[in-house]
Amino acid sequence: MVQKHFTVKNAQGFHMRPATNFATAMAAHPCSVIIRFNGKEVNAKSPMLIMAACIKVGSEIDVVCDGEGENEALAIAANMIESGFGE
Amino acid sequence: MIKGTAASDGIGIGKILLLEETVLEFTPHAVDDPASEIKRFHSAVNTLVEETTRDAAALRETAGEKEALIMEGHISLLNDPALKGETENLIKAGQCAEEAYSSMCDMFIGIFSSMDDEMMRQRAADVRDIKAGLLRILLGVKQTKVSDAPKGTVLLTKELTPSVTAGIKKGNIVGIITETGGKTSHSAILARALEIPAVLSVPNATSVLKNDQAVIVDGSAGVVIPDPSFDELNEYTEKREKFLRDKAELEKFRGLKTKGADGAEYELVCNIGKPSDAEKVIEFDGEGVGLFRTEFLFMDRSSVPTEEEQFAAYQKAALILKGKPLIIRTLDIGGDKEIPYMGLEKEENPFMGFRAIRYCLKNRELFRTQLRAILRASAFGDIRIMFPLITCVEELREGKAIIEELKKELTLLGITFNKEIPVGIMVETAAAATIADVLAKESAFFSIGTNDLTGYTMSCDRGNSNVAYLYSALQPAVLRMIERTIRCGVEAGIPVGMCGEAAANPKLIPLLISFGLTEFSVSAPSVLRVRKYIAKWSKAEADRVAKKAMSLTTEQEVSSYLATEI
Repeated sequence: MVQKHFTVKNAQGFHMRPATNFATAMAAHPCSVIIRFNGKEVNAKSPMLIMAACIKVGSEIDVVCDGEGENEALAIAANMIESGFGE
Repeated sequence: MIKGTAASDGIGIGKILLLEETVLEFTPHAVDDPASEIKRFHSAVNTLVEETTRDAAALRETAGEKEALIMEGHISLLNDPALKGETENLIKAGQCAEEAYSSMCDMFIGIFSSMDDEMMRQRAADVRDIKAGLLRILLGVKQTKVSDAPKGTVLLTKELTPSVTAGIKKGNIVGIITETGGKTSHSAILARALEIPAVLSVPNATSVLKNDQAVIVDGSAGVVIPDPSFDELNEYTEKREKFLRDKAELEKFRGLKTKGADGAEYELVCNIGKPSDAEKVIEFDGEGVGLFRTEFLFMDRSSVPTEEEQFAAYQKAALILKGKPLIIRTLDIGGDKEIPYMGLEKEENPFMGFRAIRYCLKNRELFRTQLRAILRASAFGDIRIMFPLITCVEELREGKAIIEELKKELTLLGITFNKEIPVGIMVETAAAATIADVLAKESAFFSIGTNDLTGYTMSCDRGNSNVAYLYSALQPAVLRMIERTIRCGVEAGIPVGMCGEAAANPKLIPLLISFGLTEFSVSAPSVLRVRKYIAKWSKAEADRVAKKAMSLTTEQEVSSYLATEI
């Protein structure tokens, strides 16, 4: 299991497009991917659940990957979140 | 006459096609064979994904890329593992596909609609759309086809969903009326993208108005007129023709250079507030950006944006503009804005207080971070730096000195940037206009901010209704400030632009041309209109008008005189 802490910095947070792109990217990996936010665990392969979590700019989150391809998945997640989803 | 929200300009006259919400009722029933019910569910999802893919392609043709992307977003919601998986679990527990999918969708609709974020509430509409679509397929209900609507149809519906919009044939649908949605709602954006006149949020529209009823839709005024009289029909037919004529007239200016009647060329650029606005600049045929306000990066957050974050924003705008000029104004913020992390105190008189360049020069780290981000972005486009609220030459010198330091650092680190990046100033204070001759010697360009320049020169707050009458860029005092600023710039051989509202004012344009202004920075939707205004004037004609206007002694006289000339 690998995990990393992030502060969400794109202005819109995890709204439709970032959530969808993020979930699609995570779904490509066999490992489980979870976002810990506000004491909840969110399946990061589901755009609906990510959006429902209401993760906004400035939110503190942890991304936890567990299983096959976990390092790669986390690296991609980090790149997406840290680049502000290219916004 | 019924009032609604004006959401998409123009006038449509036609007959109503009421898109009734198809009844999607079902009786929940127990399922004996969950495996085949799950199969039925999957095949419905697949059918809807196929339909949606087709709709997205159709939307890409009629409404553009952005709308198609939203439709494609529906596909990822349809394929959402949580939505799909939980639905399957409910089916396994004995529910029918209709019931299982509805209850899962309703749960998400509930979550999204209760969020305090407009964008997220829009997602509730998306989920409602896919829920209706899937139930329609599961229940085998036929849909009223918008694509079969005859010429002269006015669409009437509760809400304009992307799937309805995908069926719209531009030539056939002349107007849109909905019961819900505001100016920025998805319905409004779609209607504008399709250039179909639309009035939204018409109370009880789907019950007050009837199928096949004759109706006028005035999307500019936000008015719907059912069963129009002969006179009303005449009046609106004329209005409609005028609207189309004006629009066609403006469209002629698309893709042209901005030129006066004598062939003199001007730069016509836009004011923007965030990187994605640069797309609008391209869409509306702007020639670049004359003012990129950077405040958005600093608002609604709990800490100073990092250099990386700022760099990404500036770079994004530069990349969209593909080499067109991009003037970035450094942070213009003061005690009138609540930004907790900046430690700005409430001031008695924030507009005369600790703000903009004054704040930045005292908060070096923050200023250096922003300037470094801009410098780094300058490797990706024609970026220029502009300081706000300059009142004396030391502020400009200090700002430029910081930039020189940063250039050295970046060079040592081997980071690329434009070594010749132009550094100019906003002329928006009476002080700057008065010493424009001094500032012009050390500034690469001027941009006149008429909104503040008018306020500071007339010592009046436009928001105070007791003194707002003084607030006009046509006040002889303001005109003299503008004239002096431009003249000093011209004499020093630097370009002078204007990024206040006045740059788009048809009355002022001949004066600005006469004074020697070369760059007009306006809101993106005004570009074609301003290009048309400028095309009317030769320098000689503008000189004649300016001479006369500058000889008049009151705002009233100037304004009335200019009205006769345009």
